[in-house]
Amino acid sequence: MGTLNYIARRLLFSACLILGVSVILFALINAIGNPIEILLAERPGVTEEIIEAVTKYYGLDGSVTDRYFTWLGNLARLDFGTSIIYNQPVGDMLWSFGIETLKIQIPGILLALGLSVLVSTLAATRQYSRTDFTVIAGAMLGHSLPGFFIGILLILVFSYWLGVLPSYGAYSTRNLLWDSEIADGLWHMVLPVGMLTIFNTATLTLLMRSSLVDVLRQDFITAARASGLPERRVVFGHALRNAFIPVLTYLGILFGLMLGTAPVTETVFTWPGLGALYIMAIQQLDYPLIMGETMVITVMLVGATLLTDIAYVVIDPRIRLG
Amino acid sequence: MAEPLLSVEDLKVHFFTRDGVVRAVDGVDFAVNRGETLGIVGESGSGKTVSSLALLRLVPPPARTVGGRVVFEGTDLLTLPTKALGTIRGRRIAMVFQNPATSLNPIYSIGSQLGEILLWHEPITRAEAEARVISLLTLVGITDPAARLRQYPHELSGGMKQRVGIARALLCNPSLVLADEPTTALDVTIQAQILDLLADLRRRLGMAMVLVTHDMGVVARMADRITVMYAGRVCETADAATIFRAPQHPYTRALLDSMPRIDHRYTGGARQVLPTIPGRPPNLLDPPAGCRFHPRCPDAIADCRRILPLETEIAPGHTVSCIRRGSQGIAA
Ligand SMILES: Nc1ncnc2c1ncn2[C@@H]1O[C@H](COP(=O)(O)OP(=O)(O)OP(=O)(O)O)[C@@H](O)[C@H]1O
Ligand code: SF4
Ligand SMILES: [Mg+2]
Repeated sequence: MGTLNYIARRLLFSACLILGVSVILFALINAIGNPIEILLAERPGVTEEIIEAVTKYYGLDGSVTDRYFTWLGNLARLDFGTSIIYNQPVGDMLWSFGIETLKIQIPGILLALGLSVLVSTLAATRQYSRTDFTVIAGAMLGHSLPGFFIGILLILVFSYWLGVLPSYGAYSTRNLLWDSEIADGLWHMVLPVGMLTIFNTATLTLLMRSSLVDVLRQDFITAARASGLPERRVVFGHALRNAFIPVLTYLGILFGLMLGTAPVTETVFTWPGLGALYIMAIQQLDYPLIMGETMVITVMLVGATLLTDIAYVVIDPRIRLG
Repeated sequence: MAEPLLSVEDLKVHFFTRDGVVRAVDGVDFAVNRGETLGIVGESGSGKTVSSLALLRLVPPPARTVGGRVVFEGTDLLTLPTKALGTIRGRRIAMVFQNPATSLNPIYSIGSQLGEILLWHEPITRAEAEARVISLLTLVGITDPAARLRQYPHELSGGMKQRVGIARALLCNPSLVLADEPTTALDVTIQAQILDLLADLRRRLGMAMVLVTHDMGVVARMADRITVMYAGRVCETADAATIFRAPQHPYTRALLDSMPRIDHRYTGGARQVLPTIPGRPPNLLDPPAGCRFHPRCPDAIADCRRILPLETEIAPGHTVSCIRRGSQGIAA
């Protein structure tokens, strides 16, 4: 079975998954009832006729299946409709808020990945040493503290006490740092990225250290050493790549759940990202926004899973392409 | 007699565990001459694997080599700087492991993991390394070696993997190969093939070999000389013929008695029970004082409990550590 064939089949499966989610999402949203009624019912002076007219205006008077396929067709053309509350195209909103989310999430994952490789290698190659215990204790602590707590701690230290870093927002409204938009943006990213990095590093380190300790005990590591290869090649070339295999799943989940963890981070730092947007959308029952963002989250999760599966095939030749 | 290729003197490897110090290897001496096969035998747990790993400073924590010398071609490997040790490992002394399924890296192809070793040790090109790997795979009896280069360990049978393991050991033309139970993990039918291959290669390439096993039948067939270990110490060393015809140490005799023989009549019906040495190997956290074999020794006398016998040459090339066979000893 060729790799391309495998990828093609995984792609097809992913598409079905996304389609399935879209059906469930649509059914659930409809189960809540007519959104127009819910949104307008309490307001004074709203008559039956007005509700009917608005329902018609939003195309909500057709049969459920008709409406589903209209919605799906629009989605396929990346037309997510118009936000009820903000009166802007949902697609544009998802895009601009999405960029802000990626700006802190991607560095938060990549930095954590680099750091955890470094730290877990340091610990695992000195198993049971003081370094190892310190790393384990630190990682346990970081892993068990809730993310928002780390965030608040960072704000307390760096914004409140030291006063060197901004605690909210993605940009300064006036007085840009060094009069540069880029510098100012990076300056604002430090704390949220810091919080995500600490949180992700802790979990990744715990996973990677124990995986690496296991691998370093294997015969093929002793064999590599017995072959005269220098320690750094044995550790980085032979051990780390094997140790990475079980970590890959978690990394995939991190990427996939970026938007799932975003609400906490973005609330703590008042960050204008998809997480904050999602919360607002739900609080204000902005149906097109909720549905659009849910579909984006689904696509990202399924996409990350797909990439993880493909990465497995690349990294581990034992995977049977079944 | 010429200088031995390798001589191990008073080697001590201890495990520093939570429960205390396990003296797994506690004063072991043996030597390997150029071109010969030394068989090291002993029951499970006698310290064979730990000893052979210690030669190349490969004992895993919590074990540490706490004493002795491993003199190879005139230099003590135990005090050699790491960098210099790297030019001995894999190049002058190579190892074949017990379990071929776990001793090859699962995520690299055969060609890349063997090639890497060659490229590290020798100033050759990728193409030259590949040609060399192919010729070695051919040498160890692997069919269609060029195609195997691109295969991964899991695509090969156990016997094939062990052949690859042997090829890996021979890459740089070592003068000594350490083989720790190289056939124990294989099917019985494959075991004989691998042993024949090792014997044949050793002869053709003129290298020396240390063959570690708990199987007297294997050493009978392969070894020029034999060292018998018990509980982290050496009982007896002699040429193979002497060990089999005129063993001196009571433990060697017991081992030979426990060997299955063609003329042996088994009792116990379908489930054939081999005769074994009565008693259990000692706990090395707290080994018996005096001779470590005394609790199980049929010849033990009162002195055996307090005198630690030392290896003593009782005939040219024949050393024994048993006070009842004329060995010197030290009182505990
Ligand atoms: N991780 C460990 N912790 C404590 N003691 C250990 C450990 N590993 C090995 N030992 C000790 O080292 C001794 C020698 O072990 P070794 O593996 O060298 O035996 P062996 O002769 O190779 O046996 P086998 O035939 O089973 O391979 C064991 O009896 C045990 O007491
Ligand atoms: S020294 Fe004593 S106990 Fe040890 S082998 Fe000889 S006779 Fe037996
Ligand atoms: Mg062993």
